[in-house]
Amino acid sequence: MIGTMRLTQQEVDPIGGVAAAPLVPIGAVLAVGASVALTAWHWDEVGSPIAAALGIILVAVAGIVASVSVRATSAPFTVDRLWYVVALAVAGAVAEYLSTVGADRYLYDDYGPLVVGMLILSLAPFCTWISLLLAGAVAAAVLAILAIGTADSSALDVPAAVLVTVNSVAVLALSAAAAAYSATIVGASLEWQRQANATALERDGRLREGIVRSVQQGRVSVLGREVLPFLAHVAAADRIEVADADRARELADMLRRALKAGIESTWLDDLASSLDAARDIRITVDDPGATASRLPSDQRPALTALLSWLSGDDRAESIRVSVRADDGHARVTVDAVVAGSAPARRDLERFVAAARSAGVRGELELSRENVRVEFRYDA
Amino acid sequence: MTLGLPEHLARASLSRALASAGHAAGAVCLATALMVAIASVVIGSGPDGISDRRAAVVATVLIVVQALLYALVTLNPSVTLTVTYLLGGTAVVFGITALVMQPGNGFETTNNAVLAMPRVALLLVGGAGVGSRIAITWAALGWGLGEAASLLGAAIAGGAWAPNAAAAAALGLVIVARVFDSLTRSDGRRETALHRASQQTRELVIRHDYELRAIARLHDTALSHLVAIAAAGSGPVDERLRAAIRHDLTLIVGRDWASEHSEQVDVAGPADAATDAAAGGSSGSTDALRSGGTGGAADARSAARASASTMTDGAHRRGSVRAASSHGLGEALAMASAAGLTVNLSGSPDALALIGPQRRAALEAAVSQCLVNVARHAGVEDVELAIGPSDGEVTVVIVDSGRGFDPDHVPEDRIGLKTSIRGRVEQEGGRARIWSRPGVGTTVMLSVPKGGA
Repeated sequence: MIGTMRLTQQEVDPIGGVAAAPLVPIGAVLAVGASVALTAWHWDEVGSPIAAALGIILVAVAGIVASVSVRATSAPFTVDRLWYVVALAVAGAVAEYLSTVGADRYLYDDYGPLVVGMLILSLAPFCTWISLLLAGAVAAAVLAILAIGTADSSALDVPAAVLVTVNSVAVLALSAAAAAYSATIVGASLEWQRQANATALERDGRLREGIVRSVQQGRVSVLGREVLPFLAHVAAADRIEVADADRARELADMLRRALKAGIESTWLDDLASSLDAARDIRITVDDPGATASRLPSDQRPALTALLSWLSGDDRAESIRVSVRADDGHARVTVDAVVAGSAPARRDLERFVAAARSAGVRGELELSRENVRVEFRYDA
Repeated sequence: MTLGLPEHLARASLSRALASAGHAAGAVCLATALMVAIASVVIGSGPDGISDRRAAVVATVLIVVQALLYALVTLNPSVTLTVTYLLGGTAVVFGITALVMQPGNGFETTNNAVLAMPRVALLLVGGAGVGSRIAITWAALGWGLGEAASLLGAAIAGGAWAPNAAAAAALGLVIVARVFDSLTRSDGRRETALHRASQQTRELVIRHDYELRAIARLHDTALSHLVAIAAAGSGPVDERLRAAIRHDLTLIVGRDWASEHSEQVDVAGPADAATDAAAGGSSGSTDALRSGGTGGAADARSAARASASTMTDGAHRRGSVRAASSHGLGEALAMASAAGLTVNLSGSPDALALIGPQRRAALEAAVSQCLVNVARHAGVEDVELAIGPSDGEVTVVIVDSGRGFDPDHVPEDRIGLKTSIRGRVEQEGGRARIWSRPGVGTTVMLSVPKGGA
């Protein structure tokens, strides 16, 4: 529950966050459209066209701020941006109130609560449910003051409290919808992750058993099969021959080399080798300090996924991965030479978003021939 | 960190989340409608235009009925309950419309805020099934039934009918959200394949870890013998060498040595390490490997580097020095003794009991490495070893008056100092401090917190 309160979909479901980003400009366009349509609808009530225009402009600015705020390059979305958007949209509602002040017969055709609610709803994937609910409540409180101000001009003879209640329903309903969406999707993601973690631990156990067997088919097993019989031979012999000494020296060198190679390589080299073999693409890893082995386990999948994606479907001709560490920071740079047409920025942003959800900063450079993705890790 | 929803769960989870969103909005609408209806009962002449208090009571009951049906369909979105809610809600909208649109209530058409609330709640049914198409179908049905009920209610009341803009807007939002969801939820997840990447990475790390451990183990077990054989050249086999080889071979030949090793390190873990330490088990750097505890790649790397340090330091100036990381302090002392080193033990060795087996194994392995270094490099025959508890820690100090070295200019290949001593201790949350000057000697102080695994 605590996690659900503090987390957003963008944080727990990074791909979902990236996928949801276009919904914000759509919501913004709909909000602006609603403000224009409803202003036209009650145009006969408008006393100040300038205020009416200002209201629409403020809604548009709120939509632009929301759309820009959720762009991948600006991620992660912070709660202050939600408040900027809500403040601008509420300012639009105030301008609309001023445009019809004294002549507003029906609150029903005022766009203020609707556009504030729509913008809050469109930002649901990027905010915690608490912040969404709070934003809706604060906006409803401000709009309530405006509703009281229209009581005198209302065509309906009803108490101001009822007007406030009815006027708040749009913003409260849409905020509640946003909060419910956020809470449900975050809860589902966390629940799935818990199950996935448990499954992964179980799988690791089985994996270890399988790997023990497969390792014994590898170079270490070959070494073992040569070294151990040799030692048994010497232990049983009366004398050490010159050939034995030479063979011992040779085997010792092999062991040293194997150990050195093992120390100097990491899972990243192994990944590159396997992708290289499976997809026939040249992947070079430059990691002199074996820094990749020190990357936290939750920060590795995004890099693996990126390399798998780049090396698949003839997207890249060659890939170079450079890993550097300095002052407690690690920097992984993936440079790919594009094979055909350059991949869409949006496709690559998914990997950067996934890395970001694990606390890794990422940057993306894209040209017609090259793709460069840089991940910066804090050790 | 979470990797988010996988493709196969995204559809159901997102559909459920969108349905929840709709239910929350519908609940707010019904709650507001209920408040307005109750206000009408209390005031007698409410905003819904029902001047008759009895009509207000009827409106309240109708809203309560719709709210109850809504709660049922929200909790259990079966087809039966969805249909029941749609039909029941339609009846409620009809009844409310008939009441609200009575002449004299002040509403020009059915396109008003009061009727919008039950209408919106009706189309936000969510409904049975998963996916965008069925959800849009239920919502459209709710909208259509509501509009028909509204038309009929207005006709009976003698009011003017007009499509309800709020209900139409709500339907529009549902359609936009559902269509957007169906278009975007899968491709990105499938293409990014984060969960597969995570699985693949784990496998790679485990595989690499095992290879490294296996090589390190073979290295520790066999290299000293190989170097000794190579150095001995032609001639009779030294009986000490023969005994040592036989000893090690009995431990590994005929057994699944990599598997055994893995079980010790990764499955049995610290408990096994403690058992072996007590039993004074096998030789080699098994303990070095084990000291890492849970078997992460970094541990394997550290252990392997410990082995590598043995290798690169030119191991066989003293035969027994091979035991770079022996089993426990007892064997470390025996190793030092075999290497011709006299260890003057002081303080309270019992203090080692204050730390957990895994941490103790790491500390003892680091002490062993210190003694190895003294034996190899210090050029002295005596070393002071003091053990004692301090504030929340157990501290071990190793002092020799040998050649010493410049800690700032340790050769790159001397990775034993960095990993086998400092790395092990720091991995357990402790500190390793080293003071040394050429010609003066070396003091190493290792401290680890009490307790631990």
